[in-house]
Amino acid sequence: MTVIAELKGVTKTFDAITALDDIDLRIHKGEILALLGPNGSGKTTLLRILALIQKPTKGEIYLNNVKVTDKNIEQKRLETTLVFQRTLLLSTTVYNNIAYGLKIRKTPKTKIDKEIAKVLKLVRLEGFEKRQAKKLSGGEQQRVALARALILNTELLLLDEPTANLDPKNASVIEEIIATINREFKTTIVMATHNMFQAKNLPDRIALITDGKISEVGTPTKIFGSLSKTLASFAAVENTFAGTADITENGTTLVDIGNSVQIEATVQSNGKVAVFISPEDIIVSRRRFESSARNAFKGRIVEISDLGSVVRLRIDVGKIFTVQITKRSFNEMGLNLDTEVFLAFKASSVQII
Amino acid sequence: MNEILEGVIKAFQLIFSGDPRVFEVTLRALLISGIATVIAIFIGVPIAMFIALKNFPGKVLAKGFFNTFIGVPTVGLGLILFIIFSRAGPLGFFGLLYTPTAIILGEAILIIPIVVSLTTTAIEAVDPDIMNQAKTLGASESQASITVLQEALSGIFLAGIASFNRAIAELGVAQMVGGNIEHWTDVLTTTIALETQKGNFALSIALAIILITIVFAITITVNIFQRRRK
Amino acid sequence: MVAVGTTIVIVVIAGTFVYLQYFAKRRLVVSTTTSLYDTDLLKAIEVAFETKYPIDVQFIPVGTGIAIEQARNGDVDLTLVHSPLQEKTFLQEGYGVNRKIIAYNFFIIVGPQNDPAQTNGLNATEAMKNILAYGRNQTNLNVKVWFSRGDNSGTHSKEQSLWKLAGFNYTEISAESWYASGGGKMGETLLKTNEKSAYTLSDIGTYLKYYEKDSLINLRSFVQETYELLNVYSAIAVNQTRHRHVNFNDAITFMKFLISEECQQLVEDFGKNDYGQSGRLFHAAVHLIPQNSTQQIAQWIKTYAFLENSECPPQYRDSRHPELYS
Repeated sequence: MTVIAELKGVTKTFDAITALDDIDLRIHKGEILALLGPNGSGKTTLLRILALIQKPTKGEIYLNNVKVTDKNIEQKRLETTLVFQRTLLLSTTVYNNIAYGLKIRKTPKTKIDKEIAKVLKLVRLEGFEKRQAKKLSGGEQQRVALARALILNTELLLLDEPTANLDPKNASVIEEIIATINREFKTTIVMATHNMFQAKNLPDRIALITDGKISEVGTPTKIFGSLSKTLASFAAVENTFAGTADITENGTTLVDIGNSVQIEATVQSNGKVAVFISPEDIIVSRRRFESSARNAFKGRIVEISDLGSVVRLRIDVGKIFTVQITKRSFNEMGLNLDTEVFLAFKASSVQII
Repeated sequence: MNEILEGVIKAFQLIFSGDPRVFEVTLRALLISGIATVIAIFIGVPIAMFIALKNFPGKVLAKGFFNTFIGVPTVGLGLILFIIFSRAGPLGFFGLLYTPTAIILGEAILIIPIVVSLTTTAIEAVDPDIMNQAKTLGASESQASITVLQEALSGIFLAGIASFNRAIAELGVAQMVGGNIEHWTDVLTTTIALETQKGNFALSIALAIILITIVFAITITVNIFQRRRK
Repeated sequence: MVAVGTTIVIVVIAGTFVYLQYFAKRRLVVSTTTSLYDTDLLKAIEVAFETKYPIDVQFIPVGTGIAIEQARNGDVDLTLVHSPLQEKTFLQEGYGVNRKIIAYNFFIIVGPQNDPAQTNGLNATEAMKNILAYGRNQTNLNVKVWFSRGDNSGTHSKEQSLWKLAGFNYTEISAESWYASGGGKMGETLLKTNEKSAYTLSDIGTYLKYYEKDSLINLRSFVQETYELLNVYSAIAVNQTRHRHVNFNDAITFMKFLISEECQQLVEDFGKNDYGQSGRLFHAAVHLIPQNSTQQIAQWIKTYAFLENSECPPQYRDSRHPELYS
């Protein structure tokens, strides 16, 4: 298997904090590698070092078997690109944003025009060339940012939480795009995620990161097959809970995750398991639900984070659940810290790992 | 009261009849302040970029320095420059005193702090990660800096306008290093001062109307421009 | 970018330097007392001069003190001033050469129409004594009776010598409550004096322009034109041995024009139409300088403005231009 990029003994410290601790990692050509870990585990730092926009305190980086040095760094940087978690577009048109990297690479204008039309079709923003980038919705902006990176057609594409700040619809569009470019253009992709569901379905391999260290690397089947043993360190991953599963009379599974919270799942399982519910799949309301959703809980908001177009809530129902809703519904519902809310999600949305 | 009214009427007559003196003085003022502003931007913006983008000891001090000098009294600066440009002074050799060049340089020095201060603020308002974003798209260090500058462009534009307004409206420097020589270094402000002293109120009022109109027109245009962009 | 900025600055400076050295019309920079400039006399002289010579005369209107200071620094080529004492020092220091007396007129003491200090018909020193007494009689400390330029100008220096002549200590009276030191130019000082119905010393030119031509003030003169109020204007070139770069030759050319019959006639006639009755702004002085002139005004000028019995003692003359004094 060809190695496209390699980190050897990479350590990064910010003052007293160690963000990355002696990382060794090989990235194979053509694969999708997911960096899975809780917030603050060092995923972003690792991607920035791979993108050559942050220098490691210690260690070596190889891109296409060439060691990156101060001398060749600006040249090597052209071989890879990173899509930031926080979308940062330039205050100009969509066209100019996407053309940025090609203009630096001195691509002729006719070619740029053609490529932009193609990439806009890929991210489903046909005809958006002349729009002001910053006036687009959050999801559209994220797709422009993706297009801006995709158009460069680098062998190695780095994505930092590509769906973290998006509503489910935009998130699934982006997941599809990721799968498509990997399949059709053989682009190698390294993506950071703390979404268990995404980690389970998209990548070829997963690298588990906690506290700046890679604890395990392997295929999703292998990682999730033995997750129970490393799960303790994954307590911080959103909506991931350890519990005991029992199959009920009507064929569903009931998982007791402690604090008298029981979750119903359609997948059948028994014994000690971990469950995960995608934040996007959870519905929030101020009134009790009258719906078919099998899982419904009452709780209080303990944390609110504004992510731009979406708002992330942490809700205590005995266990802490993370939920993402659009800013509009957040405003409409008039939510605040300590507001009493109701959560609901379908049994089919529950992943048993 | 009558004299003032008469002065105002005559002033408008001067303006609309295209009086050559009014025209000449206005043009010279625009030219001198314009060149001064261009120089101040070319020197001030890199200084601002350095202050805003680099971390160095004394950064706060540097910012404070330029902030303080925004308010430098023009007469004080004029006096210092007079001494420097004078034949008896350190730059006397060039014979710059009482030339338009002396006013250009003086006004440039006067407004560089405004350019530096406002541009620093504008650059600091740009997301610091833009630099990294540009780099990951392939930009070199200097290309990335230019991108940051482009993002701060409306702020820099504003800095330029504010500087130009200050330059064209100041009297002290133009008076002291320009000497208000007719057809050579007389600009709007110095001519207003001189003609008032000579009792030519109509001409003074005409020039004052033009000066105020220029400053207001520019400010209003900028405001509209800014609102459109948002 | 810094490089571009620096380049622009260098280009502008170098361009100015080269332009002034090689391309500009010959440039003669003259610092002048405001009283000559503000009346537009110099403009008339400039027009007459420039039609004859390819020289661009540029005037910088300032007070006599600053005018001489600029000449001392070598920032101008010639200076036109009216303060014999300051002129003497300037010559003695070696910065000025070839002094020529070019014109004279009288300062005037002006005050409100009703003349509250009763100066009518008096000579200057008597009038000033009365004004001082009137000022000291004021019970309200905010009332100002006398406005002074207070700016080291020729007029200010004349005022100081008048107080001294009247027997007072200038430093003392200038600190008294009725005495206001304006620090402004002549026109401003006249406007302020008019506003406050006070007295002031003015050059005749500025006064007439404000009073007669533009009707901006109501102040009148009641004091006689006597020796004490004499005002004499001179031209002095900057010494090229002190400041090599000065345009000495053109300065002499301009000086010769100033004392020419044509220019002297122009001085004598200037303002005739505008000021009709009240007499002329300036009087030609050159014809009064020769030793044999016996008119009283000639005597006055010699007593007032001569230095060591000459308008310019030989040691302060440039030997290359004896024709100036023949």
